[in-house]
Amino acid sequence: MNNIFKVSLLVLALAFIKPNHALAQTAKYKCMIQMTNYMGEGAYIVISLINAKGAYEKTLYVLGSDKKWYNSLKEWHKFNAKKPANISAITGASLTGGDRGVSVIEIDKSKINTGYKLRFESAVEDQKYNVKDLEIPLTTESLSAKSDGTGFIRYVRFSPN
Amino acid sequence: MMNNFWRYCHLALAVSSFLFLLLASTTGAILSLEPVVERSKPFSAGNLEEITLAQSIPVLRDKYPGLTKISVENNQFVLIEGTDKNGDDLKAYIDPKTGEILGKPDAKNEFFQWVTTLHRSLFLHETGRIFISVTAFLLILISVSGILLIVKRQRGIKRFFAKIPNDGSKQYYHTVAGRLLLVFIFLIAISGTYLSLNTLGIIKPFKAGVEVDFDKIKSGAQINVKDFEIFRSINYADVHTIEFPFSEDIEDYFILTLQDKEIAVNQITGVVLAETKYPFSVLVADLSMKIHTGRASILWSIILGIASLSILFFIYSGFAITLKRISKRSKNKYAKEECVYILLTGSENGSTLRYASSVHSLLLKQGKKAFLTSLNNYSVYPKAEQIIVFTSTYGDGEAPTNANKFMSLVNTTPQTQQVNFSVLGFGSKAYPDFCKFAFDVHNLLSAQNWAKPLIDIHTVDERSPADLLLWQESWSQKANISFAEFSDFEKENQKSLNAFTVKSHSNSGDTILINFKPSIRNKAKSGDLLAIYPANDHRERLYSIGIVDKSIQLSVKLHENGLGSGFLNRLKPADRFKARIIKNPHFNFPEKASKLILISNGTGIAPFLGMIDENKNKISCHLYCGFQTASSFEPFKEFLSNKLRESKLSKLNVAYSRAESKQYVSHLIASDSALIAENLLNGGVVMICGSLSMQKDILVILDEVCATQTNNPLSFYQSRNQILMDCY
Repeated sequence: MNNIFKVSLLVLALAFIKPNHALAQTAKYKCMIQMTNYMGEGAYIVISLINAKGAYEKTLYVLGSDKKWYNSLKEWHKFNAKKPANISAITGASLTGGDRGVSVIEIDKSKINTGYKLRFESAVEDQKYNVKDLEIPLTTESLSAKSDGTGFIRYVRFSPN
Repeated sequence: MMNNFWRYCHLALAVSSFLFLLLASTTGAILSLEPVVERSKPFSAGNLEEITLAQSIPVLRDKYPGLTKISVENNQFVLIEGTDKNGDDLKAYIDPKTGEILGKPDAKNEFFQWVTTLHRSLFLHETGRIFISVTAFLLILISVSGILLIVKRQRGIKRFFAKIPNDGSKQYYHTVAGRLLLVFIFLIAISGTYLSLNTLGIIKPFKAGVEVDFDKIKSGAQINVKDFEIFRSINYADVHTIEFPFSEDIEDYFILTLQDKEIAVNQITGVVLAETKYPFSVLVADLSMKIHTGRASILWSIILGIASLSILFFIYSGFAITLKRISKRSKNKYAKEECVYILLTGSENGSTLRYASSVHSLLLKQGKKAFLTSLNNYSVYPKAEQIIVFTSTYGDGEAPTNANKFMSLVNTTPQTQQVNFSVLGFGSKAYPDFCKFAFDVHNLLSAQNWAKPLIDIHTVDERSPADLLLWQESWSQKANISFAEFSDFEKENQKSLNAFTVKSHSNSGDTILINFKPSIRNKAKSGDLLAIYPANDHRERLYSIGIVDKSIQLSVKLHENGLGSGFLNRLKPADRFKARIIKNPHFNFPEKASKLILISNGTGIAPFLGMIDENKNKISCHLYCGFQTASSFEPFKEFLSNKLRESKLSKLNVAYSRAESKQYVSHLIASDSALIAENLLNGGVVMICGSLSMQKDILVILDEVCATQTNNPLSFYQSRNQILMDCY
C-alpha cells in the first residue's frame, strides 16, 4: 500500500514538475506563526524542509538568534551540526506567548506537491521541546490553508509573496 | 527595643545577601548604561505624540506594500518589519511621517546580553533566578528596614529630610545617601522581585489577546485607512505594535497593541472588532519592566545607575560601621570587683565610647584601677569610689540601645558604699532633645542616697573640643587626675593666659568679693568661668563669674588652706594676676527667655549678679538665694535692692540656713513650686548655680514639680535648655 502510494506520488510529481522546472526555481511565501498564550521565555522555532523519507533536507527559517539555545531544538540541532548551513540570512527574533510573527520563506517549487513536508519544531528554555509542533505536507493546498499547531504554535498561515 | 530589632534586621539581611547584592548591583550599574547607549542611536522619529496612525499608515503602506508589522521601541524608535519590493526580508527604523529609513537594527550588543544573563540568572538558569529573586526580596526588606531606621533616627517621618549634623563619619554618609536613594533602591528591589516572580512563573500576568468573533465581521463600504476613526484617535506614543492584516481577506484584521489594551480593527470598514483591556497584573509587569530597566527614560536609567552604585557604597560603609562598632569594645585589665573608677557608657555608634575608652586608658596609664563597660552592665562595684557616665541620647530623647536597662538597674541595684558620680552627655544641639538621656541619668543618680555628684553634669555639643575640655578640667580638678598627656589642645590653651588687674577686694565673713578688669578687651559674659593657676603649675581652679559694669566680679568662699580661695584672698587692689576666661555658653544669660528664675546658694550668686545687671529688657526675674547667715548676704544686699528698684530684678527671696528658721533655698523653691511650674510651661528658664548638694536637693523638688504640675519629665526641660545648671 505504502509503496503504491509512494510510486504514484512520484509519478504525479514528475508529471507536474517537469514543465514548471524551466520557468521558475523558487517561490516566496509569507508565513505567519501565531503563538498560544503560554507563559515563559521566548520560543525558538525552526522551519525545515523534510524529504519523503522523513529526514531533514533544508533549513528554511530560524526564529531565535542566540546560538547557545539552538541545542534545545535537539533533532534539528543534530542535523545542523552535521551539515552546517549559513542561516544568518534566514534568522529572525524568537516569539513569546501570544505573539505572531511573519517570516518569508523561500521554497523550491520542485519540492511542492512531491512528498516533501514542512516541519515546525519548537522549544522554550526549561519547558517542552516539540519535534513536530506542526508538520504539514508541502502541497499547494496546505499552503493556502490554516494549520493548527500542537505545542507552542496555535496556527500557521501562508500567503504567496 | 524596636530600634534594635530593625538594626539587627538591617545588618542580618545585608550580611546574608551581600555577595549576590554586590554582583547584582555591579551588573545593574553596567546595565543602566544600555538605555543610554540605545537612545543615543540616531533612529529617533521625533515627537511621536504628534503623529497619528491615520496620517502615517497610508504613507508607509504605499512605500512598503509588504509591511507586516510596526513596533515602537522604548517609546522612541519606530521599527517596521515586512518584505520589500523584491520580496526580501525588510527590517528598518523609519520616520513614521515620511517612511524614510533611518537605520537598520543591529544585533543586540553581546556584552550587554552577557551582563543581562549574569544579572538575571548568574548563568545558572532556574537556580540562578531563584537566588536573584531571593536577593531582590531581601533588598526590599533591607531598604524598608533602612527607611525605618532613618525615620527613627530623624524622629518621625516628617523630619525625614531634616538636617543631619555632618560629623564626617561613614555613619553620616551612610544615612544621608540612604535617605536620598533608599526610595529608588526600594523601587528597584520591588520591581526586580516582581519581574523574577514573573519569569519563575509564580505570578502569571496573562495576556489574553483579542478574540474576534468571525461570524460578526461585516463587510461594508470600503473606507480609506486615513479616514479610520480609530486610527485618527491613536498616535504613535500610545502604540507598542501594529500588526497588519495577513491578507486582504475580510477575516484578516489589524491588531494594535497599545499601552493598556489590545484591539482588532476591520481592515475594510475601520470598525473595532474586539478589544481586550490588559489585566492589572500585565500593567504591573509592564511598569516593573520600565522601572527596573529604565528603558522609558534616560534620566531614570541614570538614577538607576546611581542607585546601583550606591548599593556598593552602602555595603562598604555599612560593614565599615559594623566593624568599627565591634572593634571598639575595649578590653578591661582589672575585674570589676577590684576597680575604683567605674566608667559606664551609653552609645549608639561608638563615638561616645571612643572618648570613654581614651579616659579609661588614661586612668590605667596612671596606675588607677578602672573598669569600662556599658550602662546596661551596671552592677554592684564593691571597691568603687567614682562612677563616670558617658552617654549619648538616641532619637526622641531615649536611651541608647546599650543603656536602655540602666534606669531600672539603678533602682534595683544600689551600691553598698558612698560613690561619687559624674555624667558627661554627648549630643547635638541640632536635635531638640539635646542630651536628654544624660540629664535623666544625672537626675536619677542624684536621687540615690549612696551617690554624690563629684561635679555637675556636663554636655558636649557635636564633640566640641571646648566642651570636652571644660569637663576634663572640672573633673580632673576634683578627681585629682591630670589630663596633661591627654590632649594637645589643652596645652595650647594653657599658654594663652591673660593678665587681670584687681580693682577692689573685700572680705565679709568667709566670703571674698573681688572685682577685676582684664588688661585686654575681653568678651567674657556672666556665667563664663575664670580659670586661675594659684601655684603656677597644672593645678587649675575654676570659678563662675558675673560681669557688672564691664568688670569681672567673683565671689568665693574662703576655705582653710584652700589653694584657690587662699590665693584670691591674698590679692590686693591693683595687683595683677594671670588667668584665663573659659567660655561657658550654656550658662550665659538666656537671650530668648521670657521669664527667668535664678536659684543659688552661697557664692553661687556671683554669675547671677551679672545676669541681673544684663536684664536690660526687664523681663520677669526671680532670684532665690540661700546663705548661712544674714552677714554673708550683706555684701550683695545693696546691689540687689538697687536692681529691684531698676526693675531688673522682680522679686528677691533669701533663705538663711543658720538663722533661727534654718531655712534652705530648696524650701523656698518647694513653697513656690506653682510659680516654677508655670514658668517652665511658658518657656521660661530656670538657672541653678551653687553647691552640688544644693543642686541635688533642688533637682529632687523640680523632678516632683515637673512630674505633677507639668506633663513632661524634668529632663525634657533640661534637654531644651530650660533648666541650666552650673554647680561645683
